[in-house]
Amino acid sequence: MARTTLSLSINGECHELSVEPSRTLLEVLRTDLGLTGTKENCLDAECGVCTVLLDGVAVNACVLLAVRCRERSIVTIEGLAAGGELHPLQRAFIDHGAVQCGYCIPGMILAAKAYLDEDPSPSEDAVREALAGNLCRCTGYQKIAEAVLSAARAAR
Amino acid sequence: MRRVSFDYHEPTSVREAVELGARFGRDGRFLAGGTDLLVQIRRGQLGPRHLLSLHRVPGLDAIEIDGTIRLGALVTHRQLERTLGFRGALEALIEGAQVVGGHQIRNVATVGGNVVNASPAADVVPVLLALDAAVTLQSSEGERSLPLDAFASAPGVTACRPGELLTHASFPRLPAQSATAFLKAGRRRAMEISLVCVAVRVTLDASRERCLEARIALGAVAPTTLRAHAAERSLQGRPLSDEVLAEAGRAAAAESQPISDVRASAPYRALLVATLVPRALARCRERIQEAA
Amino acid sequence: MTRVVGHSLPRMDAPGKVTGTAVYAADFALPGMLYGGVLRSREPHARLLRIDPSRAARLPGVRAVITAADAADVRYGGSVKDEEVFARDRIRFAGQPLGAVAAVSPDAVATALAEIDVVCEPLPPVADVAAALAPGAPLVHEGWAGYTALPILHREGNVCNRARIVVGDVERGFEEADRIFEHRFTTRSVHQGYTEPRAAVAQWDSAGQVTVWSNTQLPFEVQSTLSEILQLPPSCVRIIVPGVGGGFGGKLRIGVEHFAALLARKTGRAVKVMTTCEDELTAAYARQPAIVELKTGVSCDGRILAREGRLWFDTGAFAGSGPGVASVATLMLAGPYRIPNLLLEGFAVYTNKTNFGSFRAPSGPQANFAVESQMDIIADALGIDPLELRLRNIVREGEEGPTGQVLAAVGLEECLRKVADAIGWANRRPGPGRGKGLACGWWTTSGGSSGVYVKVNPDGTVALNTGAAEIGTAALTGAAQVLAEDLGIELADIHVVSADTLATPYDFGAQGSRTAFAVGNACRAAVADLKTQIVTLAARQLGVEESVLTLSQGAVCVADGGPRVTLAELARASQASGGGLIAHGTFVAPPTPYDAKRVEGHVYPAFHSPSFHAHAVDLSVDEDTGEVSIHRYVVAQDVGFAMNPAYIEGQIEGGVAQGLGQALSEEIVYDNGRVLNANLTDYKMPTALDVPRIETILVQHPSLVGPFGAKGVGEPPNIEPPAAVANAVASAAGVRITSLPMTAEKIALARLEQKR
Repeated sequence: MARTTLSLSINGECHELSVEPSRTLLEVLRTDLGLTGTKENCLDAECGVCTVLLDGVAVNACVLLAVRCRERSIVTIEGLAAGGELHPLQRAFIDHGAVQCGYCIPGMILAAKAYLDEDPSPSEDAVREALAGNLCRCTGYQKIAEAVLSAARAAR
Repeated sequence: MRRVSFDYHEPTSVREAVELGARFGRDGRFLAGGTDLLVQIRRGQLGPRHLLSLHRVPGLDAIEIDGTIRLGALVTHRQLERTLGFRGALEALIEGAQVVGGHQIRNVATVGGNVVNASPAADVVPVLLALDAAVTLQSSEGERSLPLDAFASAPGVTACRPGELLTHASFPRLPAQSATAFLKAGRRRAMEISLVCVAVRVTLDASRERCLEARIALGAVAPTTLRAHAAERSLQGRPLSDEVLAEAGRAAAAESQPISDVRASAPYRALLVATLVPRALARCRERIQEAA
Repeated sequence: MTRVVGHSLPRMDAPGKVTGTAVYAADFALPGMLYGGVLRSREPHARLLRIDPSRAARLPGVRAVITAADAADVRYGGSVKDEEVFARDRIRFAGQPLGAVAAVSPDAVATALAEIDVVCEPLPPVADVAAALAPGAPLVHEGWAGYTALPILHREGNVCNRARIVVGDVERGFEEADRIFEHRFTTRSVHQGYTEPRAAVAQWDSAGQVTVWSNTQLPFEVQSTLSEILQLPPSCVRIIVPGVGGGFGGKLRIGVEHFAALLARKTGRAVKVMTTCEDELTAAYARQPAIVELKTGVSCDGRILAREGRLWFDTGAFAGSGPGVASVATLMLAGPYRIPNLLLEGFAVYTNKTNFGSFRAPSGPQANFAVESQMDIIADALGIDPLELRLRNIVREGEEGPTGQVLAAVGLEECLRKVADAIGWANRRPGPGRGKGLACGWWTTSGGSSGVYVKVNPDGTVALNTGAAEIGTAALTGAAQVLAEDLGIELADIHVVSADTLATPYDFGAQGSRTAFAVGNACRAAVADLKTQIVTLAARQLGVEESVLTLSQGAVCVADGGPRVTLAELARASQASGGGLIAHGTFVAPPTPYDAKRVEGHVYPAFHSPSFHAHAVDLSVDEDTGEVSIHRYVVAQDVGFAMNPAYIEGQIEGGVAQGLGQALSEEIVYDNGRVLNANLTDYKMPTALDVPRIETILVQHPSLVGPFGAKGVGEPPNIEPPAAVANAVASAAGVRITSLPMTAEKIALARLEQKR
């Protein structure tokens, strides 16, 4: 299996890599680049902890081959706070008690961001539907939904 | 844990894609969204030596709405959900696409991948079946089309020859006084492989009192997505009263071949068919009345 | 009115978690680290004849392959020492570790695992409790009698404990009863579903000591177990917990730390081992499947006169938590009720499945499902309102629990009335196919000791050094709030250092709803000592009597605004000449007196600082498909004192979500010892679309012992959902489902059956 060289744009930074084609974006992020903010769990696109933004859209990094991502723009949780300022969603998750163990949170915040970027005034049902691909075992989703709705209101 | 290893290719045209397909034959698989294929490779269920990624092949991600509706193989579920042209008579396409996985899956997973994956529990496939869809396949030998009804023969088994590429699915425009509906049953409300799903199309006569034509497609109750032909015939020429719909539901249940597995038992699946088919038909009935 | 504790302040570790900078054990890595993987048995029961790692060991990139031959021949375990690191000559469950590999990449590990040769002779599995207890059943542990075990346990063959409570005379009680009700309930195994797999990185130093970074909830217990396995004194084993992505009891006992440590020792390199999703669903500490048989005798006006109950837990291949869970079960079978005659037994039974463990309120949901379902059946039969029936029988302040403990701070009536009121209990059947149900229960605040060091930094901030791990509940934030309250500082002034068996004081662990309670109290003890140091020094500096000084706003001052000196100044002064301001505080809950004559084989004879709770649900059942739609779900929980209301609500909302999963959709499905659904496609945890809004009512009947009167809050919300839902389904659909999960299929088919 021949390695291929690859240039990936992650959080606005360019990374030159040499990867085997079977490597997923999740493996590259966590192991090759040390960006462990994106989490690993089921590796089957069932739980959403590995959610990143690919050209602004939420995807599961565990079923995305790294080589497919050349010339695409990737945003991980590490890229969300701009210039040291927390993103309003990050702020809202803190303020609304939406964070417990926190392992699902990076994926959850990115999924929420992708959704609010499309629909800035969602209903609670729409928010829950947008987050249906992100499993959380700690919170029961309630304060997460409240945080997302609050961030949406604040942005308007 | 499985060792995952393959050679990777990125054709930039359909011609190049089918040439690679011909070269690798059974050792190659086309990669669309990857949400099924990569999971199966990781679980050791598939082990292709070559992956032929389609994402640089232009022209495969278009939705064309004309006399015929054409869905390119790389059209994502997200695109289906958002196509305004499908609101109304083709609502079932949106309803079927909307229940697949979560947003992360729908952003990436494709129609073509879903059809070729040939899971009997697929959600969009029954809708396409109820729309009398056909699939177009390209190979180094040329192009051919098949009715979707004849495409899958068993779970994961299709009429695709080694190296053949599904380029699009198409179906004819619906006649006037038509509506579609899709319903799914699962143990939870999202991220769910259907216990049973049903897709129906109803066309009423000009007076909107009798059924001219119906299509009833069932998912997860047979080795492939299934048309319930006897149930369809039972509706022809008849007014769609609740009793007639219930009878069609019972007929569809009798035509289904559900199994008992870790998700549900056969008797319950039959019960779901008998329940969901009339509900979907009733929804079509309401939609046609509302549109009038 | 408190200043810091009792307020919904944001948790201290939130910024790291929302920015992805918080490091969990699954993220932890060391330079030059190898990857480790575990070979697990495919057979549920077999003689292990031969295991040959030699071909695997020769593969490129492989640095070590280990099997039982590489581990000391010791058996370890909590109540019964029956566990081994790798199967030696007998395989007892599908998923049991047989060997492990360390290699340079996960791919190389996977290839090597497939090349380890295993020859075994399959044996018929003891598939479930019925098979294990059948006459002539094969023994899961032929050598059971020779194992070291807690002397108090009642062990016999495939039963690794029988715990019992006897009060009064149940036979006489049944004779006096006007009606007797007998029912049987069953539940399946469910997994904690934490989103972070179990993970450990181990590294040995040149002095022959090992450090393991892991996501265990109990670093000190893992230290002890690992030292047994490695045959080293505990001081040679250091466990550090960088961060935990959810535990719920599934990360209490040793998970992969021993594999990492053994591989690291053999290779001389750091090694990281993680579980896969399949490992979690086949070989983890999931909740025991249970069978409950409950016989209750009542008077015609609904007073419970006698109860005979048995609960059989399928404890799997090793005893593990089984004996303890079987003990707790007996208290849950009594429930929070006044019952003069009791014969309650809990059995932990060996089978050829994974050794199940402790999952949030172990035994609670299973026993409560039975007890509270039967209460409604009784109410229905006697024509008494289910709320009223409970009010007639619940224990009251000062009354006895089933083992004779005296109950104080009993907030149960308030919980029941509030939750019934909130759900609109007067209108129990608001429409066709719709009904309301309720359930109540009680639970413990686990004992065990906690120690903390508290020191004042030269800038006036304070370091809280605790042996407890933060597993997500915000318990350490709660404890820090107590500390801030007592010391007159702000929460933001506290830094927490935690969960390092070398550097932090002993803590019994993040289990049993005890962490905020015990660490909070240890902080109070430390502050008492620290205050003395502070005030002594300040009095000298300010030239005043100690008695006129108070701590406020990070300083020490004379009560009415006179001279003051900041904690920062005192800390600097003490560092220069007194070794620094630092105190050690400890706490252990005083034992709860009970009547020892009432119990046998019992490892958990009393509930400490018990909590009380009631749940109510309003739902509809689809007439044909049996699907349940929840309209409202209300919880009233007596928390004693709400240290941080927002995070307590979070525990309740999350606990109910988990409980609804057990109630409606989750089960690990076994077929003759093999798991059929070992993936997240088919193990159905609730998504954001499945969990309704949960309304919480915090009731506060302060405990005598907890910090500011707090009681444990984390586990209880998991207990009542199955029963509350079962009762509402019975009300809505007219069918009584006695097995979990109550899937739409079960409900639909039960209705069809009823129509015939």
